[in-house]
Amino acid sequence: MCAFAVLTGVLFNFSIDTTTVRPNEVATGLIWMTLIFGGLLGVGRTFHLESQDGALQGILMSPAPKDAIFLGKLIANFVLLYVVSLLVLGVFGLFFGIDLGRNFGWVVFVLAIGSLGFVAVGTLFAAVAAGTHLRETLLPVLVFPLMVPMVIYGVGAMMPLVSGRPFTEVEGNVRMLGAFALAGVAAGAVLFRYVVED
Amino acid sequence: MIGVSSGRLVLEAKGLHRNYGSIVAVGALDLSMSEGEFLTIVGPNGAGKSTLLSILSGAMRPTTGSVRVCGEELDFARYEWRHRIGMLSHQGFLYDRMTVEENLSFYGKLFGISDLEDRIASRLRRVGLSERARSEVRKLSHGMRQRASLARALLHDPDVVLLDEPYSGLDPAAAVVLRDVLEELKDGRRTVVMVTHNLREGLEMATRIAIQVGGRFEWEGSLKGALWKDFESHYHSVVEGRV
Repeated sequence: MCAFAVLTGVLFNFSIDTTTVRPNEVATGLIWMTLIFGGLLGVGRTFHLESQDGALQGILMSPAPKDAIFLGKLIANFVLLYVVSLLVLGVFGLFFGIDLGRNFGWVVFVLAIGSLGFVAVGTLFAAVAAGTHLRETLLPVLVFPLMVPMVIYGVGAMMPLVSGRPFTEVEGNVRMLGAFALAGVAAGAVLFRYVVED
Repeated sequence: MIGVSSGRLVLEAKGLHRNYGSIVAVGALDLSMSEGEFLTIVGPNGAGKSTLLSILSGAMRPTTGSVRVCGEELDFARYEWRHRIGMLSHQGFLYDRMTVEENLSFYGKLFGISDLEDRIASRLRRVGLSERARSEVRKLSHGMRQRASLARALLHDPDVVLLDEPYSGLDPAAAVVLRDVLEELKDGRRTVVMVTHNLREGLEMATRIAIQVGGRFEWEGSLKGALWKDFESHYHSVVEGRV
């Protein structure tokens, strides 16, 4: 995932002529798309270890609550994706010359909320895909449509921030992004047992 | 229906049905088992034996019907009853890249076992894997993996032990270890259900035996002292519908 993030940043750098477009405006959209594609690589492997020798069945037959299993997987995915998102921010900052300045704290906060929303949806659908033969092929088809609100509000929140605008201007977008993340976590925790139980 | 013998009722299934689309894997099946009983279920491929075991273990919901373990219904919203069931399946439920010890430790924590280190050491000793405790599961032979899985299934000292083809792919030495452990399970306290294709092994262990065909128990009873060769011809008669 880290290698993917860095390489994507490098490729985008060469594919976009920064003399004809404003780097800040392009970079935020690309950062979110890189996170979604990179994140999909990570969440697609959420149940990879458990798929061997029926280990998922083993933990599902234990007294561990299903929502706890989901939240454990979600936390692991979140930590991984958040580290990658900070790396992506650094890479794009370097290649596109983004000056985060005083909004650095708010930008990483927005990325944290976005990462949480993504992994909540991604982890749930990774469980759905793990029960099929298509797995990684099916996952983007299931996840991408649900990422539309995240991209809209994520980009809507981050673009003004990287342009040096105050946080109050993007508060509405951040709230919507937060609501998306919380709804994703709650829905995942509730629905996970129905997804994994036969 | 398989009836109840003397002793505390441990495992009870009523009106179990499980369909896969139009295919009936388990149909109208009732089962009652008391403490200390060892039921062997035999039957041809596709008879629904593994499906039945999955339902009894709580790994799969029946389409209709209910299962009770020690009087407690298998309610999927609750988890306490899972302490009472141990299952050895075709799959070992083990993590390939973790050692045997790490696997048992992981499952022990999921089951909230307090004396975990001692328990792991004792189970590994029993299945003859003490020396391979620190080996990664993926580096073990099939027989050793099966023994590690058996240690996992018995780690939390379950009241009901469900065994799905436990002898499958075992070499003679591993089969002897398994047989010894299964003999120990007949301690009068545990209830065991074993699904097998191996009529000889099945007959040897069982206090009761059932022949499952087309999702139903077509024949059940006790064959204490019977020769497995005699049972084999009886089995074929039942499966072919001559009985």
